[in-house]
Amino acid sequence: MTIYLPVGWTPARAAGKSKVGFSQCTTLEPWRVQFNKDIQAEAKNHPDIDLIITDGQDKTEKQVADCDNLIVQQVNVLLISPKESAGLTGVVEKGIDAKIPVIVLDRNVDTKRITQFIGGDNVAIGKAAGEHAVKLLGGPGKAAGNVVEIWGGMGTQPAHDRHDGFHAFTDKEKGIKYLLNNQSGDWKQDKAYDIMTTALRNNEKIDMVYGHNDPMAYGAYLAAKDAGRDKDIKFIIGIDGLPDEGVTWVSKGQLTATFLYATPGAEGLRQAAKLLKGEKLEPVITLPTMLITKENASEILKKNG
Amino acid sequence: MKALFRLLSRTKLYWGLLLICLIGAVISPQTSSGHNIFLSYGNLTDVLRQVSITGLVATGMTMVILLGGIDLSVGSVMGFSTVICAMLLTKPGWTAASVIGVPAAILVGGATVALAARFVFAGLARGRDVSAGRRREISLTRWQSTGIPGLLGLVAAIAIGWWTMSQVPAKFGVLGALVIAPCLAMVLGGINGLLIVAGRLQPFIATLAMMVSALGISRLTAGSDNAVVPVYTGTNATEAFELLRSMLWGVLPVPSVFFLAAIGLFGAILRFTTFGRYAYAIGGNIEAAKLSGIKVAQVQLTAYLLSGLLAGIAGVLFVAQYRQGKPDAGTGLELDAIAAVVIGGTSLMGGRGGLAGTFVGVLIFGLLSDILQLQNIDSNVQLVMKGLIIVCTVLVQEQNLGQLVARWRFRRSGEAQADPRTAEPHRPPSAAKAQLAREDLDEAS
Repeated sequence: MTIYLPVGWTPARAAGKSKVGFSQCTTLEPWRVQFNKDIQAEAKNHPDIDLIITDGQDKTEKQVADCDNLIVQQVNVLLISPKESAGLTGVVEKGIDAKIPVIVLDRNVDTKRITQFIGGDNVAIGKAAGEHAVKLLGGPGKAAGNVVEIWGGMGTQPAHDRHDGFHAFTDKEKGIKYLLNNQSGDWKQDKAYDIMTTALRNNEKIDMVYGHNDPMAYGAYLAAKDAGRDKDIKFIIGIDGLPDEGVTWVSKGQLTATFLYATPGAEGLRQAAKLLKGEKLEPVITLPTMLITKENASEILKKNG
Repeated sequence: MKALFRLLSRTKLYWGLLLICLIGAVISPQTSSGHNIFLSYGNLTDVLRQVSITGLVATGMTMVILLGGIDLSVGSVMGFSTVICAMLLTKPGWTAASVIGVPAAILVGGATVALAARFVFAGLARGRDVSAGRRREISLTRWQSTGIPGLLGLVAAIAIGWWTMSQVPAKFGVLGALVIAPCLAMVLGGINGLLIVAGRLQPFIATLAMMVSALGISRLTAGSDNAVVPVYTGTNATEAFELLRSMLWGVLPVPSVFFLAAIGLFGAILRFTTFGRYAYAIGGNIEAAKLSGIKVAQVQLTAYLLSGLLAGIAGVLFVAQYRQGKPDAGTGLELDAIAAVVIGGTSLMGGRGGLAGTFVGVLIFGLLSDILQLQNIDSNVQLVMKGLIIVCTVLVQEQNLGQLVARWRFRRSGEAQADPRTAEPHRPPSAAKAQLAREDLDEAS
């Protein structure tokens, strides 16, 4: 029954260590889980740092309370990956007023006073996906095919960035036709499965699926497989590139490609360590993406154990 | 004329379903060979498959709401079931955890069979008596009313237990999926029931607490580094498990078989057994039911147990369909289920409605989703339209169509007439209530 041991329980904190607090907004998504794993793995390289992780449980008010709590504990550096900008700006400023440097990860807040922002560039990743899609469909100028795009949450910035970036490349091609009109899979495998089922029913020819994240692309693949049409749909592209998900599916040939959306976990802690040593930080760090195809997928899996 | 209106009014839900099908067929896109996509067999079975999970949950929800309760925990309980099921299928160490799971399954299974058998047995005994033409209700002897169902329950529990043990560990994955996950979900349902019956908590509060804590339990079970438990083929998910998302003899999707069976079985139970009669009586007036000697606590407990069980089965089907278990799989499911129940004409006050209505309500919801999706309508617009549909359907449901038309006719002829309701011959309230309940039963059948 070890699974029911309290997960948040940690031994008494040693004296003399620097305290770094990290306020995570949710752990209900695989990407966020990987995020936490990355930051915890990096923390092992810094024995002088005591890392405290809180879970905002996907609620703004819970995350604000978490930050308040970390500020009261007088952490030396506050890392935060906000659920949304507006609601968390206030508490971030409160931290800064309390002379705590704040490093914001993944999504930014509405204040210029933060020490550093680290995140991926969703527009750039969308563009990379679009460029790859054009290449797979026949190359610039000649690309042709029917494309199904499954959106993440319609109200979220990453979905819009991934959409805009993709279309920056594919819209130039006259031969590419889009079959779906803003269909949101809400980042979820099951929703995407159902959308794809109907899309398959509605369209006899689908050449490519572009999912705003890997689980949705995989859901679309499963729907095509259950309909016996996974061989007809040549290209299924996702974004996130988590080892247990996208990379595994790409290595099995179920997805054609995925694009890494690296978590800022490890980099965030490294920067915090630098700051504690008294170094000055750049205001913005943009994490690079990477194309993952069948060729390099197994290599990445090996590296991640 | 009046009779026609009455008939129209009583069957309006079915007309609504027909209307939606007609609209769907007319505006449906065509394949290049000119086939109507909406009416295609594949599409209609897809709809059935897609509504099955919500449908199973709504079936349990209907029984709870009929009793005047509500079960907000079904979404979380389903999520819990998906996690248990997926972990039994993928994690070898979980064979050990089943040491708890199997006895729990036996205990709860036995208890439920005993409870259910009690009502079914009593119901059948009375049914036989009525059909023999004797109006007098036979009073069961103590031995008959508790002994036989208890014995049946014991036999069933031993049978389930023996079968369960004999299957370990050969086909453990599938067994875990089919038996342990739903039974553990039923344990959560039972806790709901006990809190309400013995703890005298309001159903809203008790199930709200379960909704929150079940999410936590499933997250702890999955482990903090698992937001999703993926189920790939080649793990314990054997071919037998794959069957759960296939088409039965190439005709019906298996998930919908579960849904249709649940509607059929529980529809019959509500219609023909003592449990059903008690459920309507308790929902109609709980005080009166208590005073007339109905064992209210037992009936309520059974309803929450069944609601948990059905959510658990829905969870297994979710894992089979989407190849993953996750704690938040059922987020918002309770609201979908309540919406379907309400569209189906079951009153949130309890005591009125039935599973036939819920079945149609679930179908209306599913068909509308399908039509909107086939029309390729923007996701955000779809949300608004679903909201509108709930409001419109319930508005039509709650109004008496005959009265609406009658009012309009009177206005046109300029005659001031009394409300038709007051014009009806006066009946003593109890008789009127009995008549209402009868009508509902007829409607439900």
